[in-house]
Amino acid sequence: MRPVFLLCTALAAAAPSFAQTPAVPAPSQTAQGDVAVTIYNNDRALVEDKRMLDLPGGRSRQEFRDVSASIEPATVTLNGRGVGVVEQNFDFDLLSPDALMKNAVGQEVTLVRVNPASGQETRERARVLAANGGVVLQIGDRIEVLRDDGLPARVIFDGVPVSLRARPTLSVTVDSQGAGRRPVTLTYLTTGLAWAADYVALFDEANGRMDVQGWVTLTNNSGTPYVNASTLLVAGAVGQAPNRYGYGGYAPPPPPPPPPPGGMVRAGMETSGRERIGDFYLYPLPERTTIADKQTKQVSFLDVKNAPAARAYEFRNGWLSTSDQPISAYTVLRFSSSREQGLGDALPAGTVRVYQRDARGNPQFIGEHRIDHTPMGSDMSLATGQAFDVKVRPVVEERTKVSSGRWKTRMRYTVTNAGPKPITVDVVQAGLWGDTRIEAESLKSERLSADEARWRVPVAANGQATVTATFDSRY
Amino acid sequence: MPRTLPLLAAAALAAQAHGQSVVTSPAPARVSVTVYRDSDRGLDPLNLQWLGGYALVSEIRHVRLPAGESELRFEGVTSGIVPQSAIVTGLGPAVLEKNRDARLLSPGSLLDASLGERVTLRRTSRATGKTQVQDAIVRATNDGVVIQTAAGIEALRCTGLPETLVESQVPVGLSAKPTLSVRIRSPEPVETDVTLSYITNNFDWQANYVAEQSADGKRISLFAWMTLANGDETALGDAQTQAVAGKLNRQRVWISPGEAKPIRISCWPQGTTSDIPSEIVPLTAQDIVVTGSRMMAPPPPPPPPPAAAPERGGGDVIAQEERLGEVRLYRVPIEVTVASRSQKQIALLRQPAVRVEQILTLRDYGGNFETPLQRVLVTHNRSAEGLGLPLPAGKVALFGQKDGRRILLGEGSIDDHTLNEKVEIKVGESPGVRAKQTVEQADGRDRYRLVVTNDMDGAQTVEIELPLEARAAGKALVKRDGWMLWRAAVPANGSAELVYRIGS
Repeated sequence: MRPVFLLCTALAAAAPSFAQTPAVPAPSQTAQGDVAVTIYNNDRALVEDKRMLDLPGGRSRQEFRDVSASIEPATVTLNGRGVGVVEQNFDFDLLSPDALMKNAVGQEVTLVRVNPASGQETRERARVLAANGGVVLQIGDRIEVLRDDGLPARVIFDGVPVSLRARPTLSVTVDSQGAGRRPVTLTYLTTGLAWAADYVALFDEANGRMDVQGWVTLTNNSGTPYVNASTLLVAGAVGQAPNRYGYGGYAPPPPPPPPPPGGMVRAGMETSGRERIGDFYLYPLPERTTIADKQTKQVSFLDVKNAPAARAYEFRNGWLSTSDQPISAYTVLRFSSSREQGLGDALPAGTVRVYQRDARGNPQFIGEHRIDHTPMGSDMSLATGQAFDVKVRPVVEERTKVSSGRWKTRMRYTVTNAGPKPITVDVVQAGLWGDTRIEAESLKSERLSADEARWRVPVAANGQATVTATFDSRY
Repeated sequence: MPRTLPLLAAAALAAQAHGQSVVTSPAPARVSVTVYRDSDRGLDPLNLQWLGGYALVSEIRHVRLPAGESELRFEGVTSGIVPQSAIVTGLGPAVLEKNRDARLLSPGSLLDASLGERVTLRRTSRATGKTQVQDAIVRATNDGVVIQTAAGIEALRCTGLPETLVESQVPVGLSAKPTLSVRIRSPEPVETDVTLSYITNNFDWQANYVAEQSADGKRISLFAWMTLANGDETALGDAQTQAVAGKLNRQRVWISPGEAKPIRISCWPQGTTSDIPSEIVPLTAQDIVVTGSRMMAPPPPPPPPPAAAPERGGGDVIAQEERLGEVRLYRVPIEVTVASRSQKQIALLRQPAVRVEQILTLRDYGGNFETPLQRVLVTHNRSAEGLGLPLPAGKVALFGQKDGRRILLGEGSIDDHTLNEKVEIKVGESPGVRAKQTVEQADGRDRYRLVVTNDMDGAQTVEIELPLEARAAGKALVKRDGWMLWRAAVPANGSAELVYRIGS
């Protein structure tokens, strides 16, 4: 404490007018207390901030600095033993030269004119009469417009009006029973904090296994750091009423909606061993951490080795049509999140990045896919890209009118495999809505829905397979 | 007085860093880069200003960490880094968390960090050039700057006097570029190699084929460049370089480019009784706003057309191809530097004699028309034809020879082609081979007459695709891939004719 004391005395001695404590504290010292942050997926977070306050007895006005710059002021609550809340204010009348001048209307300021030739200063007191479009001053018995002659002049104000603040400030008027230092808890919702999961999957094709690491990625765009915060992530989006006004902060523009095929094939029914509240899984960070402003932070939450995984191929023809060129089939990674045969955990929504080792053993990226919140025990099928060597060419072989309003279409699907291993390609024909029937086919199909039929076509290594089917349709 | 600043600074450091030491890894020891194509680009050319592809960068860095808690900062990573994709291996369980900080050092953030702090105000007299230095406290930085001096409250740069604020140090946590770091806790000091892998935007590649046609037009000598483009500010020096051919799924992510705030200077109303502008300071605040937004670099000159590789003996560096899961990887056998904001070309393949068939094609959608035919080079991707290797998507330039002089015959493009596929390269229209169709009967039993004329001194093979319902006498039409095909040889300086019907 001794250096601090020295500092204060030195300060006071050097410049008496500085004795007034600055209204704005240094940003390096946070006013936050014991902070707990709960972050949801939908750009929303709950901040709980336990601070020690020195309260006088009775009514007093307390300012809370270092709350989120994107705070939703209407959600603030303050709790403390023996502390009643009289009123809460969120002041966003900010201190600026313009606001200073407008507040000085009717008051006196000091005017320092500087002679441009000699640099000589002359000092006068002036009364601000108006600050509209320009500043009109009364100096003694003269009325002048400030800097009408374009010559340098300093305007010195005597002080800062109490209503003007350097930052939007939350203030609460409390009614305290007795004076003394006590803990109070400030709770509020804020935007600008979000999280998602990121998965790194290293796929070993030869052995049909993969290693998966999961990271939670949280981003802070709320404009405020949270110092040494206990952090809890909730896998879910809590309901949010539309919020029309925000103070500061901004959300990144939403990415364009991607059209990735695949995803969760069958939702699981197993309960993960993770903590849960209501419908949501909870992911607490293992230790306290400082979430700096504009920071992206990642903490590991999942590390699974040797989970079974397989590669598969899927092709979908949108309607009974001919393609000019053979089209690459999608290459799909299939795995399960079940306890017995998979990752053994619920998977929060995020992006799965798949890597595979090249001939020299270095992991190379082979595609990514976004997943939704996935219960444990789900079957997953993620398209990571298009197969270079596996192509399908659908061709309309024949199309004849059988009767009025009835057509017969003969389709041929040529599946080619330039790879060195025999594979099976799932060929799906969509667009069968209505009463389309398959009249004849060279391979037994499976009707997935009214709209889609699927053939599982085995193709030899460096080989080709052909499936033909005749559709009886209304169009 | 001089004691106060260091004291405050020490407090700031302690509060920010929580007693952890900061270790900076300035650059990688070894780097490997794998470039991926923008799969949405299709066959459009590379736009060097806006590269939609990406790359996987893998760096090996040698680090020395103290015992206890430390922060390891990685400098010299690309600016297009996708922070979520970063993987740090080699430190095991010591890694507590990974961070990426996008608060950048800028005039605005420097001033913001000084809010409430004591800084130095420097005023210079225009008349004498004398400077006057005094202490000031920054009171507001929102919309204009308010400072407190010994005299009272003043607004910065609203006076017409040259004045500026001087800071004594850079606040902790602000850096020139977004910085990736890991927080580490280790019981003993560690010296090890760390591998940092990440995906970065702003890269792309494609194949550029140069085809040299033989005199009889039956063979081409096919050469391909692998054209790599790096649109990032960071160069990757002496890198193991690979490119992946194929179309991979990718999620679009938004990455904060970092916050670079300008100082906003704004004053009270400055209207005067005269409309002669003041010569000392601009009248409006807007004129003195110093913006921190990044200037767009002037567009570089367009890339030169890919020159054909000169025919010469061995010694060329040619990328090696290997299978990677369901895509193909091309490895540059030597270490090369992928410079920032540049394009680089390396030989991808060389097939000296590829048998091709020259045909002229047209797809007939009915009606009356008169049109030139498309010239297409057709081959099969197999060794019998002199090919038989994967062909990544890219542009094809076809050259011929005339009296020992090379001429460009046409330009086309191909998509990814694997082995044994039919490859068709559309190289352009042939103005001398034309088709004219006349509808001769249109009463439900429609009759069409199609005449193809040839002004060249050699016979030309034409392939015209007609609707599946088309019928003609004899075996003139055969069914192929969902179309009725009329294939005919049009004699030199002659014509060929087809009459066909649609409907019964």
